[in-house]
Amino acid sequence: MTDHPPMALVLSRVSTRFVDEEKQDPSVLHEVSFSIPHGSFVSLVGPSGSGKSTLLRVILGLMPIRSGEIIRNVQRPAMVFQNYALFPWLTTLENVAFGLRMEGVGRKERERVAREKLDEVGLVHLERHYPAALSGGQRQRVGLARALAISPDLLIMDEPFSNLDTITAEALKTDLLKIWRSYGMTVLMVNHLIPDAIELSDTIILMNAHPGRVEKIIAVDLPRPRDIRSPHFFSRVDALTEDIRALT
Amino acid sequence: MIGSISHPKTRSLHYAHSIRNRLAWLLMTLVIIGAVLFVETGYFTDVDWPILTDAVLQTTYRLIVAYGIALALGVGIGLLVGWSPLMDFLFPFFDVLQNLPSFALFPLFVYFFGFTDKMIVLFAVTSIVWPILFAVLTTIRSVHKDLNDAAIIFGATGFRRITHYLAPLSFPAVLSGSIVGIAIGWEAVIGAEIIISSEGFGAFIKGADASGLSPSAVAGALGILVIVFIVNRLVWAPLLSESSRRYAE
Repeated sequence: MTDHPPMALVLSRVSTRFVDEEKQDPSVLHEVSFSIPHGSFVSLVGPSGSGKSTLLRVILGLMPIRSGEIIRNVQRPAMVFQNYALFPWLTTLENVAFGLRMEGVGRKERERVAREKLDEVGLVHLERHYPAALSGGQRQRVGLARALAISPDLLIMDEPFSNLDTITAEALKTDLLKIWRSYGMTVLMVNHLIPDAIELSDTIILMNAHPGRVEKIIAVDLPRPRDIRSPHFFSRVDALTEDIRALT
Repeated sequence: MIGSISHPKTRSLHYAHSIRNRLAWLLMTLVIIGAVLFVETGYFTDVDWPILTDAVLQTTYRLIVAYGIALALGVGIGLLVGWSPLMDFLFPFFDVLQNLPSFALFPLFVYFFGFTDKMIVLFAVTSIVWPILFAVLTTIRSVHKDLNDAAIIFGATGFRRITHYLAPLSFPAVLSGSIVGIAIGWEAVIGAEIIISSEGFGAFIKGADASGLSPSAVAGALGILVIVFIVNRLVWAPLLSESSRRYAE
């Protein structure tokens, strides 16, 4: 066992509710198994109804499982949401400091950390603003800073770029890769853009729907930083596109 | 502050708010002009001002006490139920209870508390509490699942879930529930006063002249309008403005 890399997450035959024959419940997972090594970047890809968001919530313990086993070798999971999910009554700075405040960290220290994280995502000048006054891209950066502030060892992201325009998403993606490299945390991201998944991930977990299950686990062994215009890159994108077409 | 106002969404909210502001002032100006005309034409000469003022203040005082109790009860129960796993189970019960017409229970209040000040206040509490309680419960029930998850993931669990998540989340609901509740509260207090002829504005207009508009009743109604307006300008308008600035999506 010692020659295996230590795993951050191990899921063995995890199922949520049984599948009702008549109603195809999209939140159902059927015997999902995979493991994620510490420090790796993993993307979940699959059609709607394949239970990607459910899987994230099951991993975080927000939803119960019916059978199977989840081993979590992580202490401090954090999450970034598709709809940002910032607390509207708190300023940018207070949002970022929220996790530390709940841990009982004093005001001075938590605000110092929060400013540091806001600086990392380039928003330190907006610390007194409320979320309602921020653009989508800015809100998602605050969401990322809020997650980073608790020094997570597992960062879970549910389609973090899907509500953003292309230019904003590209910039955030670049920053995210930089942050991932410097923090060394494990990242598990739901991603619906194939080129993004190939560019970012070490491993892609391809899921299928009705019931939600793992179809294929794909290792992306392209060297980093990745050249998204190289023939190797395009052939990976083509292969994954074919895999997704084959699902239906 | 300037940055937030410059955002288009916030700006439109402020615009809507400033229109409401102007309408409120317009209405108040009309009331004042009406009052001045009444005084000028001698319509109010027979009004017994000290007694009327006493009556209006008495009614206002009862309403304030009742609102304070209802606010504590509504917010307290709303947050506790919203926090507990019993929310989905209890909600239908509250839904039925809120639909009971308060005045149908009036004899019950008289039976237990007699023709007293306490009875009027407690009776008003049962009217005011529902809009507040329901606004809080509905807000907590309908919140986006992600915000709930974010609160849990970032550590707002146990009792901190109330203090750092549910309470601030419910602030706009408490505000709108209070405004509706107080409107109903005026009716409850004045209605109860009319029925049992205790002191207060309700008893005053009943005693003044039962057959239509007496100058005293008109003066009293104008007085209550002025109180409502002042409370609206000094309390609710600033809070609404602050709430719409922060909680806009």
